[in-house]
Amino acid sequence: MRSKLSSLARVVVGAAVLALGAAYAQVTISYLTHWPPETVDLLSAAIDKYEAANPGVKIEVRAVPFGNLLSTLRSQATSPNGPTITGIYELWLPELVKSGIADAAPDAYSADVLANWPAGLVGSVSSDGTVYGYPNEVNLYALNYNKRLFAEAGIDGPPTTWEELIADAKKLTKRQGNTIVQQGFGLINSWPAGVVHPWLSFVYSNGGKFLDGTTATLDSPATEAVTELYHQLIFDDKVTDPAMGTANASTTGPYLQNFANGQTAMIVMANWWQSALRDSMGDAFDDIATAPIPVGPNGTDPHPVSYAWLTMVNSHATAEQRAAAWAFLEWLDGPTSGENGSSAMGDILSSMGIIPSRNSDVAAHSDELSSPFLQGYVSQLSNAIPFPTILGGEEISNALQQWLERVEFGQSSVADMTKNANKEIDEILERNY
Amino acid sequence: MTRRRTTPWPLILLSPGVGLLVLFVLLPILLTAWISLHTWSMYTPLSQMDYVGLANYRGLLNDRTFIRGLWNTLAYSGLSITLILPLAFFVGQLLYRGLIRGKSTLRAVVFLPYMIPTIAVAIIWGYLYAPLYGPLNQVLGWFGIAPRAWLGSVDQAMISLVIFNVWQTLGYYTVLMVAGLTQIPAVYFEAAVIDGANGWQQTWRITLPLLRRTLLFVVVIAMINSVQVFDPVYVLTQGGPASATTVLSYQVYKNAFEFGLAGKASSMAFVLFLVLVVAVAAVMRLLRDPTGES
Repeated sequence: MRSKLSSLARVVVGAAVLALGAAYAQVTISYLTHWPPETVDLLSAAIDKYEAANPGVKIEVRAVPFGNLLSTLRSQATSPNGPTITGIYELWLPELVKSGIADAAPDAYSADVLANWPAGLVGSVSSDGTVYGYPNEVNLYALNYNKRLFAEAGIDGPPTTWEELIADAKKLTKRQGNTIVQQGFGLINSWPAGVVHPWLSFVYSNGGKFLDGTTATLDSPATEAVTELYHQLIFDDKVTDPAMGTANASTTGPYLQNFANGQTAMIVMANWWQSALRDSMGDAFDDIATAPIPVGPNGTDPHPVSYAWLTMVNSHATAEQRAAAWAFLEWLDGPTSGENGSSAMGDILSSMGIIPSRNSDVAAHSDELSSPFLQGYVSQLSNAIPFPTILGGEEISNALQQWLERVEFGQSSVADMTKNANKEIDEILERNY
Repeated sequence: MTRRRTTPWPLILLSPGVGLLVLFVLLPILLTAWISLHTWSMYTPLSQMDYVGLANYRGLLNDRTFIRGLWNTLAYSGLSITLILPLAFFVGQLLYRGLIRGKSTLRAVVFLPYMIPTIAVAIIWGYLYAPLYGPLNQVLGWFGIAPRAWLGSVDQAMISLVIFNVWQTLGYYTVLMVAGLTQIPAVYFEAAVIDGANGWQQTWRITLPLLRRTLLFVVVIAMINSVQVFDPVYVLTQGGPASATTVLSYQVYKNAFEFGLAGKASSMAFVLFLVLVVAVAAVMRLLRDPTGES
């Protein structure tokens, strides 16, 4: 009897040890992001909270600069130690789906996304009707202008049309001899999305587009008119100096500094720049206001370009890692992980001046989103047109950037740009479709 | 007839070094050449690459950006070497001959920029070069010179990068020059002085001929380093404005890692490799010792 009891005790203890071991079996996942250190600290704090409630999961954060995010993903995605979760630009999703890197969201998480995010954003994280990630940040473009410089020039409010944009830019431009020391309107260069998105916002606001399905349409009059507008601002009216618009690898540099220093009166820029601008300008940030994109002669309403980011799971991770990653993302983007009904992701994005995308996050952060700077963006969300998410999108952006810069620096005529950029983009599309 | 005995020891002793060379030098070169014959996004195993023959190379012939990048790479290298060679020789002479005071300190100061990571100094130079508000333009303003656009100008961006390169690497090449100068026996100069040769004649007739091997080494190393330029382009200009500073190594990076065109990028890298081999061979032939002595 005694020995039977002893055997039973051994079995019970053994089972308990096994159950405990299983409960505490560590699954380690990694989270690759391009966020700056202060934002990574917020993510780490959220992770600490999650790990405390889920002791079987360990999450490592890997942070790289924005410029290295895609190259890191490309070189590590299929390696055994590749990132489990990655925050990606929606433009990269088609290739990641085609290459089998992006894991399709399991049904429960797919249903979560479908139920709690606007339909437009669900589309940006989906391919052929399958959801591949959780949408997080939304960015769109607006006119940023310096109210102090406007007041000094005797201008009442921001321009709403191209005609007003040109007239205001002339009043806001100051020269010493032939050198522009204060430009009325600033154009960025040396950064593909930075160059293409504002240009395309003008195109959309002029009733044009640059792609019709998988065919380039740069030669349509409404589209070509924007490149002509750029040419006029630089070479005819001389209110824009491209040399003042250089961006460096961290997407700042002279373009940001000239605007922050009050040497550029107007730019077209995305909302995520708020934190960079505020850091550069200090109290002078209060001089900055936002307004809709000026509408072209063929347009009816402002239509800024918008783009989104999402967090995806690597299909090359193990089944346990993928399960843990999706569960973590559901929590991170869910309404219980943050403050006052916001998700932890919503809190993180708001800290950077980025518009969160979950419906409940937009409500939870309504105060921040109604700030004078962000309100100008939020008011345009319904007018925004997403940048086309297509295969070869990064290469197309680059080609377009190169040709636009050639026009800006006098190396190409508008007609040549239209013809050659159209041809190059068509070749890229043909290769991919 | 006696048969010569062979021993395996040379092979055994050489194999670790040769093995490493094969693994880390020869194999990557061969792999690059192999990948250049395919299309590959890097998201799939090498075994799933699509073979396209020489299509990537044919595509380069009509690729406007590649041709611009090749030209920019050659211009950057040519300008860098043209400035570095005489400057390193001149500063090396100053340091070696003791023509100035505090040469040990100066040698350290000249070498210092080479020790700092390029990324770190490039960020500083980005600020120095800033149009309107940058310190360099402020200095020019003291002399009544109008501000330059520097990196913001298609005409000045490349020379701005060359100036940065010369500033950063001059110390290294100067040290090589000083090392070469120490190899020239002092007795030649003493004899030349007795024969009445002036400084210019000593330099032209003694120093330069006997420094030939050092000069050749400096040119080859400067060529290899400048052809591979990447960091300052990546940090400061991103190849812009309007492709004015796009170089081949930067294009290789963009095509492979951003566009997912690893095959095309490999063909660019292989062309760069061949250009370098031809250029180095030409320089070695040009600067070879006419007496044939090694």
